[in-house]
Amino acid sequence: MEKEQVRDALQRIVGKENVLWKDVDLAVYSYDAGLAKGRAGFVAFVDNGDHVAQIVSFLCKEGISYVARGSGTNLTGGTIPMDGGVVIEFSRMNRILEIDIENERVVVEPGIYNLTVQNALAEKGYYYAPDPASQKASSMGGNLGENAGGPHCLKYGVTSNHVLGAEVVLPNGEKTWIGGKSLDQPGPDLMGLLVGSEGTLGIVTKMVCRIMRSPERVLTMLCIYSSIEAAGQTVSDIIAEGIIPATLEIMDNLVIRAVEASVHAGYPLDAEAVLLIELDGLTDGMDEQMKRIAEICEKDGAVSHRLAKDANERNILWAGRRGAFGAVARLRPAYLVCDGTVPRTQLPKALSEVKKISEKYRVPIGNVFHAGDGNLHPLILFDDRDADELARVHKAGSEILKVCADLGGTISGEHGIGTEKLREMSLVFKDGDIRMMRGIRQAVDRKGLCNPGKVLPAEEARP
Amino acid sequence: MTKNRATTNDGACLRILESLGVAAKQVERPTKESEAQQVLARAFKEKLTVLPVGGATAISAGTLPERVDIVLDTTGMEGIADFDISNLNMTVLAGTTLDGINGFLAGQGNGFFLPLDPPFSQRATIGGVYASNGSGPFRLRYGTLRDQVLGVRGIDAQGGEVGFGGKTVKNVSGYDLTKFLIGSAGSLCLITAAVLRVYPLPAASSICEVTFPALGELEKFLQTLRSSVLLPSGVTVEPVKGAFRVLSAFEGHPLAVERENRDFLSMAGTFGGKGEAKMGREVMGKAIRGAIEPEGDAMAIKITVPLSEGPRTLARLKELAGAAKTVLFAGNGEILVYGADERIIDGAKGLASNGYVAPLRLHRSLLSKWGPRVNPTLEQFVLRPIKEKLDPSGVFPPML
Repeated sequence: MEKEQVRDALQRIVGKENVLWKDVDLAVYSYDAGLAKGRAGFVAFVDNGDHVAQIVSFLCKEGISYVARGSGTNLTGGTIPMDGGVVIEFSRMNRILEIDIENERVVVEPGIYNLTVQNALAEKGYYYAPDPASQKASSMGGNLGENAGGPHCLKYGVTSNHVLGAEVVLPNGEKTWIGGKSLDQPGPDLMGLLVGSEGTLGIVTKMVCRIMRSPERVLTMLCIYSSIEAAGQTVSDIIAEGIIPATLEIMDNLVIRAVEASVHAGYPLDAEAVLLIELDGLTDGMDEQMKRIAEICEKDGAVSHRLAKDANERNILWAGRRGAFGAVARLRPAYLVCDGTVPRTQLPKALSEVKKISEKYRVPIGNVFHAGDGNLHPLILFDDRDADELARVHKAGSEILKVCADLGGTISGEHGIGTEKLREMSLVFKDGDIRMMRGIRQAVDRKGLCNPGKVLPAEEARP
Repeated sequence: MTKNRATTNDGACLRILESLGVAAKQVERPTKESEAQQVLARAFKEKLTVLPVGGATAISAGTLPERVDIVLDTTGMEGIADFDISNLNMTVLAGTTLDGINGFLAGQGNGFFLPLDPPFSQRATIGGVYASNGSGPFRLRYGTLRDQVLGVRGIDAQGGEVGFGGKTVKNVSGYDLTKFLIGSAGSLCLITAAVLRVYPLPAASSICEVTFPALGELEKFLQTLRSSVLLPSGVTVEPVKGAFRVLSAFEGHPLAVERENRDFLSMAGTFGGKGEAKMGREVMGKAIRGAIEPEGDAMAIKITVPLSEGPRTLARLKELAGAAKTVLFAGNGEILVYGADERIIDGAKGLASNGYVAPLRLHRSLLSKWGPRVNPTLEQFVLRPIKEKLDPSGVFPPML
């Protein structure tokens, strides 16, 4: 089919003003927050599920690939078009359709920002647990596609633990529902499969999510350390004590300095590491638990610790953590976020290896991570105009993932595989495992048009 | 617990299946994953059908074929393969019972537990819970297996080993088949082992029991409880002699549990509920088990509805079920009905228009009349193609 015919067909579905096809417009959609770049043939702004179903049905018939895109904050190239296909753009499907307090559910469109949903729920005394650091900008649909996590996932689980149903457009254009407000749709856990599938098995057009009552009390403590290993030890010791905090977040000195220059969160510049600990729940017994945590911090050699006095101070401490990725951009023009996970007790070993890799490849690496669940985020800083440095960055990133896999962890905790970790899939999966995943994909997306080139390596691409 | 301890179960599987209308030619009871692999490789080669069975406590969650060539009894694959106390996870072979797992965990260090509590935990195996998506009232706080499982090992329809997930709490590497296989009822893969999260035993546990004289008060109370800051681990509601008996379990710091007991009883009193609180983990567990398990192996179905519809649906089901045991896991919208027959099933389907009705333990004759369990679009364009792709020769039972 000629390009003009595709454009006309898309315009008939979503309106003339809602299709982009000029190169200058398409350039914006050729990349996301990862390093990879693609090429879009068209961008279609959709307003409802019927638009999506009609577009997918048309593209399926014509054999044209497509990718759904929320805010484009993906960190592994998951939302870039690989072969000149159509970008189905969701920023206008950003409504909260229902807040159902009685049944503890919220129904949203996928283009809405995570934080917008949180703010609406907070007014009613409720919240949605997954809180990726990108929540100001990342969309709920994108969070679903990547199975996003966030600091509070230590206690409450990730996106797949909180999305209970979805209206989905299947790769053949059929629109249907998986799950809903009630639990336990019979049969295999299709929501579990869909969440984190990076838009390769269908496109979500509505989401039903679990919401929870805001806790009675929240306590946030900032602990200062002269070594990152000691901070990591505290994390293990708190969990071993039987206390599961809402969050356990660590930042190292490089990140602390960047954050302070940017956000002024009050982290001491000479600290080798800071640990943010948050407890939430009932008031009763919380002071005793925090006192015990403070004792553990002291035992592990914390230089100091202090509790946020009020919500304002707590927000400032968190602004530092949430702004960490953006803050490091002050140090070098670009960065690559690695996203490996290891069993919690392997954190010190993993961090030590990351330091060696930094030296080996002559690239600065900052560390900010969800320590409670062993989810590392080494930030490799570089100048993307320097081809040699970029090549070293890729090697360093791959080696960090191998370290994670070798320590019993995995190559992605919450950012997905996208295009950037396809080769590393063989570090954690055997041929038979990938064959089964590929079989599922082929069964659902027979023509291979639904966000092709992502998540699963092509057979020939495997090392 | 001894690793791979062999137990005698000869014939038990066949008798259970026979009582449900399933004829089987042969039982294989491997004690190792490699033995199970051999069984499946042979079945694939010889075009035989295989029905995996654990404790058979929710055997009808999938499709029961009229005849099977090989019943693969998983209870021989029993034991704790690994317990990582520092990282709070364990690897368990599929045939291990929930009580076996929790018995093991209680004896480790300061004591740990796995918060999965479907009925018949003394017989329910982790593989069976995996295959049937079994759950109990404690899902209110802890979720179900999908919230506790980190990794899974299994054997595919051609006898090949597969594994997904791992030992980390977060993992988005590839498709999440650890979750997808939950509820698949042995139709895609034989589950041979699972990596699970475990939790330190709470410092204090309690059970509050209150009775409400009327449905209206019960509904108002449960809505108030849900919107409060109290954090019950599990809540059950049973219709008893025209009234409603509510059990609520609390766990955590002793000061928190003490306050929750007090507030719970006070809140109940506002709606005419009267009762008491008892401290102790054993008494809590015994009370909850008594509420969710019937005497004997009754036929059973599960109904799920939106949370607010739970009490009213329970009351209507009780009218249908008569003396048969019915229980609501409040906060989850899940209702179990024991002693289910065709009339009760039809009634339940009518009541669950906003939810689902699923068989747990039913005779084949009732299952064969069940009708579609998922919407036709999903069945035609997702589930059937996946089944045909992963199990083209039909070694495992049909999916739904």
